[in-house]
Amino acid sequence: MRNILVGLAIASVAATSLAAQAPKTIAKPAALRTSDGKPDLQGVWTNATITPLERPQNIKDLVLTEEAAARMEKAVTDRRDRLNEPSDPNRTAPPQGGDGSTGAAGNVGGYNNFWLDPGERVAIVDGQRRSSLIIDPPDGRIPALTQEARTRQQARAKLAMGRGQYDHPEYRPLAERCLLSFGPTTPLVPNYFYNNNLQIVQTPDHVMILMEMVHDARVVRIGGTHLPKHIRPWMGDSIGHWEGDTLVVDTTNFPPQQNFRGASENLHVVERFRRADDKTINYRFTVDDPTTFTAPFTGEIPFRAMEELIYEYACHEGNYALGNVLSGARNEEKRLGSKQ
Amino acid sequence: MTTRNILAGLLLAAVFVTGRSVIAHHAFGAEFDPNAPIRLQGKVVRLEWVNPHTWIHIETVKDGKPEIWMVEGGTPNTLLRRGITRDTVAVGTEVIVDGYQTKDHSLKRANGRDVTFADGRKLFMGSSGTGAPRDGSDPIEGGTKPAPKKPGGK
Repeated sequence: MRNILVGLAIASVAATSLAAQAPKTIAKPAALRTSDGKPDLQGVWTNATITPLERPQNIKDLVLTEEAAARMEKAVTDRRDRLNEPSDPNRTAPPQGGDGSTGAAGNVGGYNNFWLDPGERVAIVDGQRRSSLIIDPPDGRIPALTQEARTRQQARAKLAMGRGQYDHPEYRPLAERCLLSFGPTTPLVPNYFYNNNLQIVQTPDHVMILMEMVHDARVVRIGGTHLPKHIRPWMGDSIGHWEGDTLVVDTTNFPPQQNFRGASENLHVVERFRRADDKTINYRFTVDDPTTFTAPFTGEIPFRAMEELIYEYACHEGNYALGNVLSGARNEEKRLGSKQ
Repeated sequence: MTTRNILAGLLLAAVFVTGRSVIAHHAFGAEFDPNAPIRLQGKVVRLEWVNPHTWIHIETVKDGKPEIWMVEGGTPNTLLRRGITRDTVAVGTEVIVDGYQTKDHSLKRANGRDVTFADGRKLFMGSSGTGAPRDGSDPIEGGTKPAPKKPGGK
């Protein structure tokens, strides 16, 4: 794979903007503003952090002491060091019947820790070391799901586990099909796995947010109104406006296939981008979906400037997994003699 | 500590911190057969440094005959940011892999649950602090790009 800069989407957005920009007198350092006087949000940023979206139940306060934050960070690096230690060269094959691993590793394990890059620091916002990204409700937890959402979740789970789930590529999850990341794309919450990086390109008319996972570009129109309800882009429809020095982005029109924390297509996300200093954007998001959550919730994430570019995540190019999953199911059918 | 259940361990950690399970790019449990555990030892013949997941091709010998196996790893992007490219591991490097074969047994493919050199050292070193991603917020990171790591192998 090559180290490729961001794609044509950026170029096309950038090309539309230059003529419209007019120089203005600006009060803040020029480097932090665009030529039309708006705060300059452009650059490559990372939202990687070990601070979880939801506050662990055993932590009461949003703000961690310096010592508590240091302990959490050390636990992460200690674990990495343990996993870097050599294995037994005389090891045998793993256990017949599976190794007991759960989640995506589904009883067969995954791959070595060295592939992962989940971050190693707690999130710091306005000088505070945070125990959760969610700041409201005050307990730092996602509000309870509505009964409607619970029923929907159960139906989704049943469908995902049911017979026929391997019958067609379109029945497979969006991430497996390389259509969207396995992590959230709107709002910009880290996936706690890897490649938690994004690039922002800004013009007076549009702001583009390119997420490394999975090379998804969300183009925000500045001003205007939302698309008609029946048009539902994969990452929703984003329109923005400036409130002083804060970019406010309003996103609706999500497709029913997306599933941010069990949300429905009625998901409504409001994001606020505010430049905190020359190396940080303070990002705040509010999630509302009355058909899913019993109350809205709000989180804050620091985006820290990176000195490097984003690598292309050309998911379709090497996606052997989807074929392996489907051919594996055909093999199982033959074995069971129950081919349909 | 051995490298067993590394992704599982991370997932458990993620479950702990987020309160729900993480759905990765795809479920390994849907791709690989828990009843087909394998241990492979052989020489690297090719590295596919591709997304969503890297594939390492190795040549093994079974009953006196050579076989080419493809071993699934993770995204190469994280390693690229540490200066590790597909040329870092030379063709011919001997490796040991344990994992599970794909559910389609006609394919000689497996997950690289643990991929090491012949002496047990990890093929690469995990690093979330000194190499990837460098974001400029930590003074200890300095201003120079880390040199590509060359594990060498045997």
